[in-house]
Amino acid sequence: MSSGVKRTYRFTEAVLLLLTAVTAMIGLFLLALTFQVREDIKSSMTLAQMVLPASILVCSFIWVHLLLSIRHVGMEQLLWPIVCLLLVLGMLLIWRLRGVEGAWQQILRGLLPGLLLITLFVLRHYWVEYLRRWAVPISLIGLALPIATAIFGEADETGVRLALKLGPLPAIQTSEFVKLALIIFLAWYIEKQGDKIEGRAVPMLDWLRMPSLSYFIPGTLFVILATLALVGMSDFGAVLVLAVLFVAMLYAGFETRLFATVVAIGLALALLAGLVLYFTWDVPVVIRYRFMAFLDPWSQEMILIDGQPAGITVSQGPGYQIQQAIYAVAAGGISGTGLGFGSPEYIPLAHSDFIYAALLEELGSIIGIAVLILFAVLLLRILRLALLLPPGQVFERLLCIGIGFQLFSQVFIMVGGTLNLFPLTGLTVPFLSQGGAALLVYMLEVGILLALVQRWDRRAV
Amino acid sequence: MIELFDINTLLFAGKWLLIGVIYLFLFIVLIAVRREMGLRIGGRERLPTEAPGRLRVRFPGGDSRLQNGAVFNLSAETRLGAGADNDIVLSDPFISSRHARMVWDGVEWWVEDLGSKNGTFIGEVRLLPMKPNIILVSATIRLGDVVLELLE
Repeated sequence: MSSGVKRTYRFTEAVLLLLTAVTAMIGLFLLALTFQVREDIKSSMTLAQMVLPASILVCSFIWVHLLLSIRHVGMEQLLWPIVCLLLVLGMLLIWRLRGVEGAWQQILRGLLPGLLLITLFVLRHYWVEYLRRWAVPISLIGLALPIATAIFGEADETGVRLALKLGPLPAIQTSEFVKLALIIFLAWYIEKQGDKIEGRAVPMLDWLRMPSLSYFIPGTLFVILATLALVGMSDFGAVLVLAVLFVAMLYAGFETRLFATVVAIGLALALLAGLVLYFTWDVPVVIRYRFMAFLDPWSQEMILIDGQPAGITVSQGPGYQIQQAIYAVAAGGISGTGLGFGSPEYIPLAHSDFIYAALLEELGSIIGIAVLILFAVLLLRILRLALLLPPGQVFERLLCIGIGFQLFSQVFIMVGGTLNLFPLTGLTVPFLSQGGAALLVYMLEVGILLALVQRWDRRAV
Repeated sequence: MIELFDINTLLFAGKWLLIGVIYLFLFIVLIAVRREMGLRIGGRERLPTEAPGRLRVRFPGGDSRLQNGAVFNLSAETRLGAGADNDIVLSDPFISSRHARMVWDGVEWWVEDLGSKNGTFIGEVRLLPMKPNIILVSATIRLGDVVLELLE
């Protein structure tokens, strides 16, 4: 680049990060006050205990901001502050629900390793090129992890294998990695095959194109293998996200006329699979409970296997989790009960899957709506980045679209599930929920996006 | 404790302060988004009046009046072409009378080919007619034989 380039300072980002830090401080202050009033909260802690994790959090925000400023990146000043604000809100809720230990776990397992990845990707933005070159091995490793988990994983108290324990490392939820693996794989494959797939015209219907089978076989194979592994782990939420990603990336990658056919075939197959399952195979108890709870959260009806009630929330009925979430949302009202004054601890998994219900109760729907707007702006920023990347960079653009849709579909599914607009599935809400591996993957994705921002920024089109 | 600094008052104030700060954040985000989208949504009248950019002649082509290294100032919307009604008149034989236009949207420079006969190039890439394209500082634009460089 010539010397004519102005040294850009990321002013908007700085202002927004300042506001994020102020949010964190007000939140901590409120929490400290709350713990003085309510000594019955078991996660009670002093202000002094919160200062260190909080300063690590704020310093990490500033660190990435400085890195981007040093690299003279002028573009995309909204992505990082939005991520930071969501992280702060998530941390406040985790502090309140899980105490200092939960917060440290989140920082040590998710934030700091993730920050390292972001640093590497910001400083070495050409690493995205390695992602393309080694797309196949990377995605196969991502695929192997959940398969290994389904076979060797540690079973938790409900007999579900979700986490893989490797040597001295803490157990990791491997289903988070397979989503990114699918994104990388599809982006690579569509870029490689994109030109060859023209499709033949269907006689009679000129506007419709039949795709040649060869183009969606590898992707389908990948999704099927991952689905089998995830069903083995009974992680149906991840299956749903994989399906959304598959359809979204095919839509983004291929001609629209071709896509119409793919959707028609896909829907027909899904219908067929549903019918076959309905008549022949037992739908897993978990899914049946989820649907029963969706249709009638207050029902006490149980599924009997050998005369005994089966399932996870046997003692309280299938809809217990959703009932509690509905109570929580109702208790929160518009402005919320205030941090620490609600009782989200009655909701099972309030710190991970149901964090949005906890947020609605304690911070109110007014902040709940703000969070949804933040996620929407985040998706728009990511899609905008995909559009502004040079048209030749198919892999990079598809990577952006995949990442955007992964984040947004998880928010969509979890918020819908929390409010009982959707049958519930277990997923994390990006950046808010507790979960080390999940946060690590989200941070890695943010790192990839920030690397792509530089690629767009530094390139003389 | 003084009544004013009653703990419940503090909690109440803190709660609404938190909401206020988060909405201020959202407000700034939306303003930033709007600023970047200004041109694309609003049309002509929203064009920023000040446009930080100049064009330097890197190769004068067939226009004998152009000097190598000459610098043109750009306004928020600048039309380029051989016709006399253009903001920057380039009388190269391969330049159409209404050849291209450059637009500053508040953040980026955009170049649009206005359906010229011999095309407009950014670097080596020929632009599609009537499709605005982002151009970054220090990139070169070629119209006919004339090569121009975008400066800040």
